[in-house]
Amino acid sequence: MSQYYLFQDSKKCIGCHACEIQCKTNKDLPEGPKPCQIIQVGPKFINNLPKMSFIFMPCFHCENPWCVSACPTGAMQQRTSDGIVFVQKDLCVGCKTCVSACPWGAPQWNPDTGKVVKCDYCKDRVDQGLAPACVTTCTTGCLKFGKVEDMTQIRRERHAESVASLENSSF
Amino acid sequence: MAKDTCPVQSTLQYLSDRIASGVLTDPKVRRICESIRMLVEEISLGEAGDGHMAAIDDLMTEFEKRTPDDTAVKTLYFLQQVLSDHREAFISHIETRNCPSHDCGVIAPSPCQMACPAGIDVPTYLALIAEGKDDQAIAVIREDNPLPWVCGLVCTRPCEMMCVRGRIDTPISIKFLKAFAAERALSDRRYTNPNPAPPNGKRICVVGAGPGGLSCAYYLALMGYTVEVIESLPFAGGMLMVGIPRYRLPREVIDREVAMIEDLGVTFSFNTRFGTDVTYEDMKARGTDAFFLAIGAHKAWDLGIKGETDFPQVIDAITFLKNVAIGDRHAPGKHVVVIGGGNVAIDAARTSLRLGADKVTIAYRRSREQMPADIEEVEQAEEEGIAFAFLTIPTQITGSDGRITGLACIKAELIAKKGTDRLAPVPILGKEFTIQADAVISAIGQYVDDSGMKAFDAVNWTRRGTIEVNHASMETSMPGVFAAGDAVSGPATVIEAIGGGKRAAEAIHRHLNGMPQPRMPKIPVRRRKVPMIEMTAAEKMRLSRPVMPMLNVDRRRTTFQQVELGYDEAAVRKEARRCLRCDVCRRCGKCVEICRDKMGIDALHLGYLDFDHPVKTDFRLTAENCITCGACAANCENNAMTLEEKEGKRMLKLCGTILNEQEIQTCDACGARLPSAQYMAFISDKTADLTQKAEQRLLCNDCQRKLSARNHVPTRPVNPT
Repeated sequence: MSQYYLFQDSKKCIGCHACEIQCKTNKDLPEGPKPCQIIQVGPKFINNLPKMSFIFMPCFHCENPWCVSACPTGAMQQRTSDGIVFVQKDLCVGCKTCVSACPWGAPQWNPDTGKVVKCDYCKDRVDQGLAPACVTTCTTGCLKFGKVEDMTQIRRERHAESVASLENSSF
Repeated sequence: MAKDTCPVQSTLQYLSDRIASGVLTDPKVRRICESIRMLVEEISLGEAGDGHMAAIDDLMTEFEKRTPDDTAVKTLYFLQQVLSDHREAFISHIETRNCPSHDCGVIAPSPCQMACPAGIDVPTYLALIAEGKDDQAIAVIREDNPLPWVCGLVCTRPCEMMCVRGRIDTPISIKFLKAFAAERALSDRRYTNPNPAPPNGKRICVVGAGPGGLSCAYYLALMGYTVEVIESLPFAGGMLMVGIPRYRLPREVIDREVAMIEDLGVTFSFNTRFGTDVTYEDMKARGTDAFFLAIGAHKAWDLGIKGETDFPQVIDAITFLKNVAIGDRHAPGKHVVVIGGGNVAIDAARTSLRLGADKVTIAYRRSREQMPADIEEVEQAEEEGIAFAFLTIPTQITGSDGRITGLACIKAELIAKKGTDRLAPVPILGKEFTIQADAVISAIGQYVDDSGMKAFDAVNWTRRGTIEVNHASMETSMPGVFAAGDAVSGPATVIEAIGGGKRAAEAIHRHLNGMPQPRMPKIPVRRRKVPMIEMTAAEKMRLSRPVMPMLNVDRRRTTFQQVELGYDEAAVRKEARRCLRCDVCRRCGKCVEICRDKMGIDALHLGYLDFDHPVKTDFRLTAENCITCGACAANCENNAMTLEEKEGKRMLKLCGTILNEQEIQTCDACGARLPSAQYMAFISDKTADLTQKAEQRLLCNDCQRKLSARNHVPTRPVNPT
């Protein structure tokens, strides 16, 4: 895993796709490739109520990434400093092995350049101390980016809140 | 901007940089620049039409009206500058689909076309011939050469010398395919002239009806000029008729193609010698606006040896061949010696044999390798029984009572001399000998007969006795007088004369319309973009150059029947399919580099891409290792290498040749197309240490994401209300 964690509070997400658009604009991408994507799951009935979730799918920046092993040219790399997995554009020849190797469909094909593009947590922005493009534009503020250790705290707090609200409702 | 870079390409680069860098903040300016960029890109790809320049001009007007900021002003100035300075380059990219500096990679001409002195678009007409479209092929050829049938039989074919297929096995038989297409199109009555422009009232006088004159007359007539050809011989064709013997070029071939030119309204005055029968003043008085001199090189050099002028049986090859062509069918003697080593010497020797000479010997002062004659010609002469005496310098023609008895010679050796690559023959003292002969034909070269050219007093002549011209425009030093062919180059080839005539026609048109002449000769123009012909790698490799069927030797020794009988139709179509389409693949080698060095697969064995170090080429080997990943195709700038999906197969094709095909797998969930099994195996080998080779569902990229999203839906406490 990279040192970072991109946390999506799926309860807050309304599926507006603003993150996708911001991401594509930042990377100047044509129609097609989506380095991050909001996937709609559902609607399905839970306790006779239709429920639907929007799941934010960026790259997980795995500890041992399949894509890096699969890449024959060394274009797909893992940054040693923080574990971000990224494509070095000039080395990519467009063989798409990474696309096929990734179990989560993270590497995306850019038909305009004939090369692969993927979520790199906007490493150029991260290096400047900024948040990734998708995070900056999230309308409901459900995307949060930071060090892994900080992120667990948010989830704990959120869970505590939900547990508390459940307890409250039972009164 | 450096002079040798293409202005179209550098404008494209500049605009792309400007747009990408984000300095164009004004949205309207940005939109204008993006539109111009798109148009320029289409021009550089050879896809632009007639409206492109007008559209760019409209956008520029819009741009100028806008009050732009500083960065936009810089862009505006750059565009204004480049569009005014290099407008011609933009227009030529649109009209010719051709980039002279080769910067716009997609639209550079092929090596065969570059090698052709007339610049014929060879790959295009070969592809048309392969599909049986002989009339269209002839139309393409005649945009650059009005005599395809003649050239199909007698061209020295510099194109075949450069043919890339020659690096794999043998060059395509380009020359003869042209002759076949011309013959078939004529026979089908589909060999037609293009529509000429309406008459423009200007008169041009062409002196000489040889290939140069005919070519110039044809292109001038198409442009609407009234062309009058003055010819001293009783027929058109020049050296085609009186220099090339009938067993190589039947008279009908010349007559039919000349008739096509006559159909355009070109008038011929035969048996008319310029300077005596008709003069410069006569022509001027008739309102001639320009002159084109294509008088050829019809005077033979003297041998300069003793006895040359003492016997009537000493004749020069040009006079001999001319007499035979006009109808004198008497053998020069029983034992004929021809002096010289060029095509004319071979022609004279083979003609003597056909007229009944018992023994014909060609005496040449260098050795076989140095002979300037075509190797095929030499071989055919040998088959017919012509003898060769190499390293033989003639010293004297001996005889008595007005009859030749022999040719005294001296043996030579070849010595390297300073300042020249050509070995010089030097006589060896004491090694004299005599060849028995009763006739001697000298064929040691020709020069230009300038006797009728007195009126053109301002025309400069070179030291070699040829007319001096600017080779880009074929203009002489006398305004309104142009020249080409052997009269300019000295004895040379048919195709050079045709190319020169064509260039002169364009220059005459420019001259009479007040347009400046080009400084450099024009780069050949790509005439069409025809689709590739699909075939298997095995077929592409297996096809081989057909052997030319020949007339039997007895007939060749006794008659003037055509020696090369020509391929049959099936052979022609197959031979045309052998073409590698170098008009599309520029042999940059990127595909091989990526497959071998980057991917580490090394499936492409295309040694022919490299000019200097030809290693093995075998299209069939690709299928052994290729995983149809398509990296080669994705990086091919010219779309020569393509990855296509058809009937459940994924095919890798190089200029139509199927290098590999593999079955397409589909996504188990949505049915989307997936890579081949070989490709998946390549990946699982690479990621073997990460995953166990388990039976996995084959899922496409989208479905994989959806699946993992579903797995990531957090289980959260459900609100009971």
